[in-house]
Amino acid sequence: MSIVRETDTGWQSGMAKSITFIVTKDCQLACKYCYLVGKNVKERMSWETAKAFIDYVLSREDEFREESVVWDFIGGEPFLEIELIDKICDYLKLRMFELNHHWFNSYRFSFSTNGINYHTPDVQAFIKKNREHLSIGITIDGTEKKHDLNRVWKQAKADENGIIHPSERGSYKDVVRNIPLWLEQFPNAGTKVTISSADIPYITESVLHLYSLGIHQVNINVVFEDVWQEGDDLRFEEQLMTLADEIIEHGYYRDYACSFFSEHIGKPMDPERDNQNWCGAGKMLAVDAAGNLYPCTRFAQYSLRSKKALIIGNIRDGINYNLLRPFLTLDRTTQSPQKCLDCEVASGCAWCQGENYDAAQTSTIYERSTAICLMHKARVRANNYYWNKLFRKLELEGRREEYENNKRDVKPEIC
Amino acid sequence: MMQYLVILLDDTSVSYCHADNPYSVRRLIGLNDLRAGILFAMKQNLMIQFVYPDYELPQEYLDLIDTIDHHDIKPWYAGASPADVTVFDKSVLAGVSPVNQGVAVLRLTKAELFENVEAIGKILLKMQRLNIVVTDIETITDEELKSYAAVLEGLASVLKDEYLAGRMPQLNLLTDRMMLDRPNHCNAGVENITLAPNGRYYLCPAFYYSNPDDSIDPQDIRNQQLLRLDHAPLCRHCDAYQCRRCIWLNRKTTLEVNTPSREQCIVAHTEREASRQLMAAIREQAVFMPEVEIKELNYNDPFEVRKEW
Ligand code: SF4
Ligand code: SF4
Ligand code: SF4
Repeated sequence: MSIVRETDTGWQSGMAKSITFIVTKDCQLACKYCYLVGKNVKERMSWETAKAFIDYVLSREDEFREESVVWDFIGGEPFLEIELIDKICDYLKLRMFELNHHWFNSYRFSFSTNGINYHTPDVQAFIKKNREHLSIGITIDGTEKKHDLNRVWKQAKADENGIIHPSERGSYKDVVRNIPLWLEQFPNAGTKVTISSADIPYITESVLHLYSLGIHQVNINVVFEDVWQEGDDLRFEEQLMTLADEIIEHGYYRDYACSFFSEHIGKPMDPERDNQNWCGAGKMLAVDAAGNLYPCTRFAQYSLRSKKALIIGNIRDGINYNLLRPFLTLDRTTQSPQKCLDCEVASGCAWCQGENYDAAQTSTIYERSTAICLMHKARVRANNYYWNKLFRKLELEGRREEYENNKRDVKPEIC
Repeated sequence: MMQYLVILLDDTSVSYCHADNPYSVRRLIGLNDLRAGILFAMKQNLMIQFVYPDYELPQEYLDLIDTIDHHDIKPWYAGASPADVTVFDKSVLAGVSPVNQGVAVLRLTKAELFENVEAIGKILLKMQRLNIVVTDIETITDEELKSYAAVLEGLASVLKDEYLAGRMPQLNLLTDRMMLDRPNHCNAGVENITLAPNGRYYLCPAFYYSNPDDSIDPQDIRNQQLLRLDHAPLCRHCDAYQCRRCIWLNRKTTLEVNTPSREQCIVAHTEREASRQLMAAIREQAVFMPEVEIKELNYNDPFEVRKEW
């Protein structure tokens, strides 16, 4: 084992096609930062739609040539539809086998869940049945206080348009009771934490709290939306430095990882060599309850504030490949403003194609939103501090070389 | 750099490009809007291209137009006065004898083109320059592409004989690629913008035709960089120089102004290949533009080879 952990790369990262079923737009929670602006209780996927989609994809092996596949289930909260999901997964396995599809030996079912229904018999039965092919991430935001700031239950009733609104009741206790079971079943599982302006003061305690719950991998990022207030970057930097001190002082770096700290961020980028797109939109495929297809779930109407859904086809007519061309030819330089091309700390500064589209002045995916600019720069400063401090410590302990020899090659995570 | 201002004088002004003009009711541009457009062009140093309807304009319009150096784009109709660019539709194929003057634009559907190669060949002989605009190119199928290649082959043989006889009529689809050493894209929104009869500005007439709410601020075009070639990931690597790289078709088919559809690319590459073959055929019998080389390609959609860049 390496003595310093960093972010795990995704399963078969880069070679796997990610195919997402938006099984429901309903959720028990109504998180305040949730990008799903149009969550509602009405749109649930039917079995007929799911089956038609599976038949569409699996009958086109020549169009979907990636070595592996991740069948991804999201919502709302996907486990609200466990019965449907179970049926979908059974059918997928059966059809991949019957068709002798090259994905049969290389597939995974993946879930991002709020964890509330994790312990229920149906979900547990599903997990036991598919154990070898599962990744499940439970989202927990940190301490009770931090978690409950945003991750609140929805109001008992949706409004007249079927739209869900938040209540005041936090969900921490309902999630955390399932963490031991989850970690027992998936000891290497990680959690995803999303930071918005109001969360900044709680970052350090939250990450440490997650470590204390036994979660070794904390994937954390700031929201891409333009929510930042003046001074947030400095507060953020301060929090990350405190976190760095804690991780180094208590030796957490040996067994735990926090994706905020990475050796690979904060460097200038070459316009030609480092020109690839950050986000995987377009290489993924998502389907919703109406049978519409999207380059990524972020382009479905319920994820968009100000733009029209970007639908690239449907299960009846298939994919309109002309609509995928812009996604598949996107590169970093074409969509970035000059300041990003000249930026001294550009590496690791992420974007989300869906948010770019939503925030753009015209209807385009080619205008990079830089709402996180100051936050990235703050992260880079704290990150530099972390590595300088850690390396010095390792050197003084005579363990730097051991670290260098054992360190894993870590690629930046894509969304 | 912005160089041209296209002014549509009337809602029924002739369409000279890909999009059909959906307006059939006459509505002249207001005199004040016309005056403002002319003033704008003077201050921005833009050459105006006036686009006319198929009727005689009132004298006050003609007088105002006369106050500035300009080009005229007019529809062909009996009694129309000469223009820098004359736009014909399929009626010209039925035996009308167009005058040999300026540039002629011939707007046709695929079907009209496929069925009239001979007539087009004859018209070509009477012209100095013919621009053929196929108005439904975005729906071309692989089967139709073969017919398109056959049409180009037929027209190339007409041109070959002309060139060998020392005459040099130009046909955009075949001779432009031979003559050009850099792209000759439409460059709407970068080199030219359009003033419509409603007094508002557009990237080009097609944007007005398809959605009058799609207007622009001519002094501050949002995301203008995306209209430039250096922001078009496929086109900036492409040498089908005769291609119009139509940003309106781009947006219509791929939703992005900087990304062409497969159809636009395969059509342009079929033209490029036909130009290459025409050049080779002429060279078999004469020394012809020895400094120009059009390489043979093994693809007709640059998207297929994007990973090699
Ligand atoms: S958004 Fe800011 S930090 Fe990120 S690459 Fe651009 S200039 Fe650099
Ligand atoms: S963008 Fe240019 S080529 Fe396309 S319709 Fe408009 S004027 Fe014509
Ligand atoms: S052929 Fe295609 S890639 Fe080339 S300039 Fe035309 S539209 Fe662009």
